[in-house]
Order: sequence, then structure tokens, then C-alpha cells
Amino acid sequence: MAVIGTHLELKEIYDPYVREWKEKGGQVVGYSCLTTPVELIEAAGLLPYRIKALGNPWTELADGEMSLFNCSFCRSCLQLALEGTYDFLDGIIETNGCDHLRAMFENWQHNRNLPFFHYLKVPHFFRDDSLEYYLGELELLREHLASHFSAEADNDSLRRAIDDWNLVREKWRELCSLRELSEPKVTGGEALALELAGSHMTGRDFAQLLGNFIEERKGEPGKKPKARLMFCGPATDEVAWMEEIESLGAVIVADTLCFGSRAFMHKPGQGSEPLEELARGYLDSIFCPRMYQEYAKRRDYILGTAQRAQVDGVIYLFNKFCDLHGTESVLVRRDLEGAKIPVLVLEKEYSSADLGRVKTRVQAFLERIGGGA
Amino acid sequence: MEKGYVIRPGENGFERAMEILGMVYKFPEDISDEDVEGAANFVFPALRNTVLGLLELPANRGLEIFFFKKLLEYFWEAQRAHEEGKKIIFIPFTFPPELFFAFDSLVPLCTEVFSGLIVNICYGQGERFWDYAVSLGLPDSMCSGNTIGIASLLYGPGLKPDAIVYNTPGSCNPNAKIHAFAADYLGIPQFALEKPVDESPRGREQYYKYLLRFVRELEEWAGEELKEERLREVMERSYRAVDLYNEYWELKKARPCPVPNIFSMTLLVLRSQLWGREEAIEVLQRMVDISRERMRKGEYAAPEELARIYVSYIYWLFDFYGYFTWMEKRGISILGDILAIHYFPPIDYSSKESMLRAYADIAFDYPMTRQMGGESISLRWLEDVCYAAKDLGADACVFGGVHACKHTLGTISFFRREMMKRLGLPTLVLIGDVFDKRQTPMEIFQKEVDTFIDQVVSRKKRARRRS
Repeated sequence: MAVIGTHLELKEIYDPYVREWKEKGGQVVGYSCLTTPVELIEAAGLLPYRIKALGNPWTELADGEMSLFNCSFCRSCLQLALEGTYDFLDGIIETNGCDHLRAMFENWQHNRNLPFFHYLKVPHFFRDDSLEYYLGELELLREHLASHFSAEADNDSLRRAIDDWNLVREKWRELCSLRELSEPKVTGGEALALELAGSHMTGRDFAQLLGNFIEERKGEPGKKPKARLMFCGPATDEVAWMEEIESLGAVIVADTLCFGSRAFMHKPGQGSEPLEELARGYLDSIFCPRMYQEYAKRRDYILGTAQRAQVDGVIYLFNKFCDLHGTESVLVRRDLEGAKIPVLVLEKEYSSADLGRVKTRVQAFLERIGGGA
Repeated sequence: MEKGYVIRPGENGFERAMEILGMVYKFPEDISDEDVEGAANFVFPALRNTVLGLLELPANRGLEIFFFKKLLEYFWEAQRAHEEGKKIIFIPFTFPPELFFAFDSLVPLCTEVFSGLIVNICYGQGERFWDYAVSLGLPDSMCSGNTIGIASLLYGPGLKPDAIVYNTPGSCNPNAKIHAFAADYLGIPQFALEKPVDESPRGREQYYKYLLRFVRELEEWAGEELKEERLREVMERSYRAVDLYNEYWELKKARPCPVPNIFSMTLLVLRSQLWGREEAIEVLQRMVDISRERMRKGEYAAPEELARIYVSYIYWLFDFYGYFTWMEKRGISILGDILAIHYFPPIDYSSKESMLRAYADIAFDYPMTRQMGGESISLRWLEDVCYAAKDLGADACVFGGVHACKHTLGTISFFRREMMKRLGLPTLVLIGDVFDKRQTPMEIFQKEVDTFIDQVVSRKKRARRRS
């Protein structure tokens, strides 16, 4: 598979990389939540495809299934499924990431009836008993993939996939260090574009893409921004939206976004078998407010990152009706502001529908923290 | 925490509700029509419908006074808890309370019952607490069912929990998150029981393992071991109530329905707050006796039973009169909602383990936990409501959606289509809120229901009669 190089213009859901994979006879399995170990899918010879909407603002078909009180990102993804854009997928893996996501997957399957549909049940706590259960879940997924696609993810192929994805995470950390420089060499929009491009690649190709990009940027001069921001929040795959925010003079030098650094927080786990290693690594690294008792861990991480990256302020954003992030934002704001880090909590609609309003609020925030245009 | 007004010690939501209920405690059970009218005129206008909803119809008047007295006695126990060296824990309405009654040192208070008290008894119907929650930054799409009660805890002086306990990871994001949030915000311990979204034997076994761990953690924190004998007492009482619940369910099948609509609310509160105690049995026994007697006499509040509806999700509970009594007087019988569908497995009292096994099954299949924590929200929900609607002879369903409940709102279209396909039952879809009248006022609900019953249900019935 040819590597895309540093071209970051991802405009299509069914993009050339996936198209080429399919034309060569490959099969593609969709997933949405970061609790899905892509290594396992890849080790079975399949291409993991992270479901995205790329800013698609249309939801009329999805609105017939889900209510307007459901997350507009999930409705946007469902819209693409219902209108057939995702028909290239050979199957999907549901996870219980949140209530919106579960409803999205159920409607998807009721309406499109994909031949392969697997529900990976992910615990909400990282403990010995839940780890054992999650490991069992991964076994079931491995078996289902093997029986349906006649492709077994044996330990050797799993080991290779784990190594490839660990390299991706290493490269991502390298990329983050370029973002955190006093004169950042990578913007938040670029980082997001890279993550999106890699979210339907094999680990090896993604690592190479990141490597190429890093090499190219290392030699280039950075640019001192008017303000250094950190973004926290859930799934946001809108590159243009992020670029608009950065066009106000700030650079997003760090993030914990779901399409972003959160996707690479996975710590290599310990285990006697690759699958056990995977289970431990994933369950211990879920940086999502769905892990109800781990707020302190998330707070410490955000604080540590914000301090290390020397941010001027943090924007905690989430789509309207995301109760998990919305509720957590109260604690994050309280604790970060207690540590003298200004916070803007930004509730938004998915897509650029309310971009004007959002930009005004960000502008005001930048003025407040001294980085205004 | 001054937000435009100050709440002094003794004047928070719960404390105010206790004071007002203290007056109800003095009511005789055979209170006259004139006294009901007097009481309705005595309270704040917005609360008039609480009084009338509970007391206007003679059939339920005595029962509701008796029920509220029992509830008040329990809340007095909660108020004395700290003085007596006991610990107060908040639990969501999805957590079967009987387990906690088996601990001598724990006093469970159901968050949603707590909210309901504030909304239906206090001036302002809890809106000040909801607004306070939103002013903290909590999303306005959270569930008022628990947020109002939680916000009153965060807000001001008064009763404080020693820990927060919840079992909604797996079945409801807003519920689990607000409970976790409250514990983090208040800096008190939290204990959680997860429901795996897995209905296989493996999922059930995992749930049992989680429950054992949960009990161990609770024991350690409470400094008290869960004793087999105490658990047996509580579970035996719980199952005496189960027998009555089963009888109650059977009575609902009669035409016209002899069970007053307001009993749906009473059952919900009994199950969420008092199950496992003697009071639940006493109240349920009276509910069954009253309903049986009404069935014998053929009593019904309207000249004709126009429609029998199954509330496919949950009741709106901010206006008892405008909801329950209004429908009853119009000849619309409420057969139940999702929270009225309980599954009680056979129980073996021989050991602590066997009783905990039964409790795990009860909790696994507890309303909302079972459906929204099911492997498929839409299918499990649909199948359960289909069963109940068919068994009780419903003519239609009303989905009183709650804006917080993203799981049902996300699958309601499928539910409505399938309900029509499987049982030929139409579903009226409305979206509002369980405890906040500002979302969708009751007058709008009433107009929609009226039109639905007239245009869809009654017309269909008339056509059937003609053919």
C-alpha cells in the first residue's frame, strides 16, 4: 500500500487509500470509539476504519431516526450511513461509548443490516475484574472476526500490529513535541488532519505518514503564536473548523480530543499474551468521562499537559447534548482555574452551523487571556 | 453560595418539604371534600395540583395520605441518621433499595424521590435548583429527575450525604455522570455497580461478581458486615411486596381499569425508596384492596373508559393532577410505564449467597437498567413494552420523552414503527421533561393527548365497532 506522503487534504469518506485497499480485494471494518483495539482488526488482515463525518452538516435522514436531542456528530455519521456513503464497509463494531453512539449504531444496523455486526462491550472501570471481562470481550471479537472473515488474528500477526501501532503512538508523541515548542512547527488543524488521515490506515502506513511529516517539519522554522491554546473534549473531526479558530491568531499546541491526542494515549500494557497486553493497555488508557471514577486521573493529565505546553488557556469544547463532557467541564473549569489556567467552556453544534458565534466567543476569550488580535 | 437569594439552614428543599409534609401528617385519612378544597387553596398556586392530584378523587384520598405519612416517617429517620451514628447514602431510582436496608448503619435516600419531593411540595417546584445547576455550568440537557435533588445538595445547608452510590454505568450516561459528579464535587466517596450491556450468562455472572465487590466496598466503608439474617429479613419482606405487586398487575387488566392512575406514581416511589421495609407492604396492601373493591363495584372515575394507554417510557411527574387525575377523569387509564415492569426471580433464602444471587437478578432486570442497559436498547425496550401493553390490554402508547434520555430519544422512531407493526398500537411521541414544567407545559401535553385519543384511538375503536 502506497503511503500518502504528507498530503493532508482528506475530503472524502471513501478516500483513495480505502478505495485502493478495497480494489485490491481488502475488507474494511468500521468502528467509532477509541476503546476498539485497531490492532486486533488489523491483525485479522482487515482495515480498521474509524467512522467520521468530516463536517457533514446534513442530518435529515438521521433526524427521522434519532431525535434532535441527540449529538449532532452521531446524527451526521448516521446520515452518511443511511444515504449509503458507508456502504463500502464490510462490517461494523459497536461499542458502548455513550448513549448517543449506541443509538447511532442500533439505527445503523436496523436500517442497513450489515453482514458483520459485532458489539464490543467495554467496562466503565479499570479494575482486575473488569479487565478480565474486557479480555474475554476481545477474545469474542477475535473469534467473530475469524469466523466471519475467515481471517484469524494469531499471536504473531497481533504482535506485529501491536508493534506498528506502538510506533504510531511514539511518532505522535514526537509530533506533539513539535506542537509544544515555543514556536510551534505544527498547528492543531494539521495534527487533526493527520489523525483523520491515519484513522483508516494500517499502523505501518500511518507511522510512515507521521514520520515523513515530522521529518519535513523539523527543518522548518516555527511561528510564535499570539496565544497558546489547549483543546479538550470529545470527537471533533472538523479540520476547517479548527483552522478557523487558529486563524484568530492562536495555535492549539496541545489537546486531549477524541480525534486527536486522546487516540494515542494508549500505554503498552503488560501481559503474557498479546491479547492480554492489548486489553490492559486499552482499558487503562480510556481518557473519556464515561470512565466515571477516573476524573482525578484526567484532571491531572490535563493539568500536567497544560503546564508542560505552557498554554495561555484551555478550551473545553463539546457538542450540544453531550452530557458526559458537559458535566465534566464544570469540574475541569473549577480545577484548572484554581490552578490559574483560564478556561473557556464551549458548547457547540457539529459542523460549521454556529461557527460565527463560536468565533466571537473564542475571540473574546483570546482577548481575556491576552492573545487577542 | 449566594445566587440572588439565600437559603438559610433548615430552609433547603428537603427541609422545606419535610415541614410541609409535617402538616399532611396531621390530616385524617377520611378527610372531607371541603377540607381537600381548603388544603388546595391553602398552598401556593403552583402546588395546588399536587394536593388535588393526590386527594381530589375519593378513591385514592385515604391511601395517599397514609402513603405520605409512611414516607415522611422514613424521611424523619433520615434526618436523625447522623445523630444516631448512621450514614446517609444517595442512590438513584434504578438501584433496588432493599440491599441497603439490610445494613443497620445505612440510610438510603433515592435521589429522584428527593427531587420529586422538592418539585411537588416546595414553592417554585425546584426550578431554583435546576437553574442553580445550569449556572454552575451543568448542561441544560441533563436529567431534572436527579439534577434538582443533587443541586439542592450542592447549593446549601441542610441534609448532606456521606456517600453517593449508583448503578447506572451501562444504562444511563446522565444518571451515572451526575452522581459521579456530585461525589467529586462534594468530595465524598462514591461506589458504583456497573451493568454490563451483555445479556448472556457471562454478562449476568460478571454482574454478580461486580455486585459482590460492590458489597465488599460498602461493608468496608460502612464498617459493617452485611449479615445473612438481616438480608433474609429484608428479602422476605421484599417478596411479600412482590406478591402484592403481582396482584396489582393482575388488577390492572380489568376493564375499566380499577386501579387509580395516581397509584402508578405511588408504586414508583414505593419501589424506589421503601421496598424491603414494612411500609411498602402496608401501602401496597391498601392499594390492592382499594383496587379490588373498585373492580367489584365497577367503579371508574369517568362515565366510560375511552382508552387504555401504556406510557412507553416514564411519567411526567411535575403535575399530579394535570397528568394522572386529568387522564383518569377523561376516561384514559394509565396501565404503567417502563418503570412499572419488574422481574422478580424465584428466591432461595437458604444462604447469603443465594439471596445475593436473587438480588443480582432483580437489579440486572430492574426497570431501565434492563432495557437501556440491554444488549440492544431498542429491542429490549420494545419487547418489554410489547409484553406489558399486550398483557394489560393497551389501546395505544404514549412516549412522554424526557430530553435527558438520549438512549430512548435515539431509538424512538424504531420503537414507534415496530410497535405498530407488532401490535398495531399507535404511539404518541412527546418530548418534555419529568420534573420541569418549563420544557413542555402540562396544557400542551393534555392537548396532544386529547387529540391523539380522539383522532387515533377513539376513531379506531369506533370503526372497529361499526365493522
